[in-house]
Amino acid sequence: MTAMLSTRDLVAGYEARTVLDGLDLDLPADAFTVIVGPNACGKSTLLRTMARLLTPRRGAVLLDGTAIRDLPTREVARRLGVLPQSPLVPEGITVADLVGRGRQPYQRWWRQWSTEDGRAVEEALAMADVAGLADRPVDTLSGGQRQRVWIAMTLAQDTEALLLDEPTTFLDLAHQVEVLDLLHRLRAERGRTVVAVLHDLNQAARYADHLVAMRAGAVVAAGPPREILTADLVRDVFGLDCVVVPCPVTGAPLVVPARTQTSAVPAATPAPAGASVGDA
Amino acid sequence: MRALAGRSLVRVGPLSVPVRRRPVVVAGVLFVLLAGAVVISLSLGTPYVAPGDVLRSLSGAGTPYDLVVRDLRLPRAVLAALAGAAFGVAGTLIQSVARNPLASPDVIGVTQGAGLAATVALTSGAAAVLVAPAALVGGLVAALLVFALGARHGLAAQRFVLAGVAVAFALRALTEVVMLAADPIDGLRAQLWLIGTLAGKGWAEAAWIAGTLAVLLPVLLWAGWALRSTALDDDTARGIGLRPVARRVGLAATGVLAAATVTAQVGAVDFVALVAPQVARRLVRAERPPLLCSALLGALLLVLADLAGRRLFAPTQLPAGVLTAAIGGPYLIFLLLRTRGRRS
Repeated sequence: MTAMLSTRDLVAGYEARTVLDGLDLDLPADAFTVIVGPNACGKSTLLRTMARLLTPRRGAVLLDGTAIRDLPTREVARRLGVLPQSPLVPEGITVADLVGRGRQPYQRWWRQWSTEDGRAVEEALAMADVAGLADRPVDTLSGGQRQRVWIAMTLAQDTEALLLDEPTTFLDLAHQVEVLDLLHRLRAERGRTVVAVLHDLNQAARYADHLVAMRAGAVVAAGPPREILTADLVRDVFGLDCVVVPCPVTGAPLVVPARTQTSAVPAATPAPAGASVGDA
Repeated sequence: MRALAGRSLVRVGPLSVPVRRRPVVVAGVLFVLLAGAVVISLSLGTPYVAPGDVLRSLSGAGTPYDLVVRDLRLPRAVLAALAGAAFGVAGTLIQSVARNPLASPDVIGVTQGAGLAATVALTSGAAAVLVAPAALVGGLVAALLVFALGARHGLAAQRFVLAGVAVAFALRALTEVVMLAADPIDGLRAQLWLIGTLAGKGWAEAAWIAGTLAVLLPVLLWAGWALRSTALDDDTARGIGLRPVARRVGLAATGVLAAATVTAQVGAVDFVALVAPQVARRLVRAERPPLLCSALLGALLLVLADLAGRRLFAPTQLPAGVLTAAIGGPYLIFLLLRTRGRRS
């Protein structure tokens, strides 16, 4: 396994709170890596630190073996795209305009646009299937469309690797699958390295080549989902009893919660239908 | 090309800049209006000089009106245009950094800092030549205070504005204390300064403002490009390879410098820096205030305000600062009403 992104003895956090304490991790190149874990386990902090949105207190993030803080931020932006958790949509900006911002690392104030910029933006619009929306203001779009526009912006950046923080949150199931299919195609057809934080374990198991399970700021297990995703791991990481069965469609591990507190209560108070793992 | 989002690409040598048509047209129209307003401003007054004679006099043809047009009225009109442009630039930069249309130098304390220093100078019997430098220093010190208070989260928009409003109120209160304790005549002079007037001012003041704008010009060329990223949140901006905090500090410092310089020269003229960027933004229908159009609109507004102040109640002269709000306010309300309901 060649690691594209690695962390070495990484310590990071916010204000007085230390979230990650001495984390060592290698994320493989040309793979779709999914990071999972309970709320506040540090998965977003890890992603933000790897994307140099958060400066670590100690240790280093390595991009192809070079410490990311030693690289100019423009150069990093040409190799590593990042989609933060809930980016702010500038008021009134159009889709094509926002996607064009992804070309920033290739532009200067005297050379604000090139043919290459045009090509990359057209391609990104097409890949994320938002070309038909190019002239629409982003703030008039639905949540699913908006998320695809943001992904298109990071695609226009034309980077080897893409880091996404909960790209499917706030989307309905069909749109979640759409976004995950797009990320899968990026990996399979374009050979991009994709790293995403996801909440849904079953989606993680279905799409990930490499799964990283975190708890309390530490990595509990990492590897292909079929090898590491077991009932023991879910109990260990989420504190949830479950049964792991093969998915009838893909054969990937499928996590089905076993008896929970609500289903143990006598039938007088009916359990909510479809109580499942994941969904925070 | 669709990816250019309705822009055409302008290429000159190594330059390659996408340009939207609308801002170019608006800038052209504003420039013509500004030239017209300056000619009218040179023409009206006692004595009245016909616009044709104004143009002849300006072209150096030598007319009997040269003294009135070139020596008496022209310096003041040029000062009004330059000061208005500087206010427009300052307002655009500060509003963009603060991501707040209500933020402007007179809201975040720069004007009040200049006002306090000028009031102290005017009421303490200091030499008249010291008033402008004192005001400049006062405005910059106030801005440093606001930056220091707002710096903790990388000059984040809301914190920056709140710190500015707090500093502005404190400085205004101090100014009033100084004024109440002063000799009444000095107090009146200070009050006139605080409103802002161009009366009795001309080339010297204009030269200071022009010099500052000229020094800032390379920064402003960069700023026109850098401003477009101020609407992005910090994580997104870092993700595409920008340094948002350094950008904010650079843009805000440029705006503060322009504001402090112009306020030191013409006094605390209200409202131009606040209203010009917002009106310009609506005229060009952009997601942020456009730098050049805001400057032209600020210039137009102050030239008109000074003209109205001179002529409306002639021979009584009103300070331009009284008229800027009276002209700019209703126009902004008109634009707000007109664009209500549809996204611009």
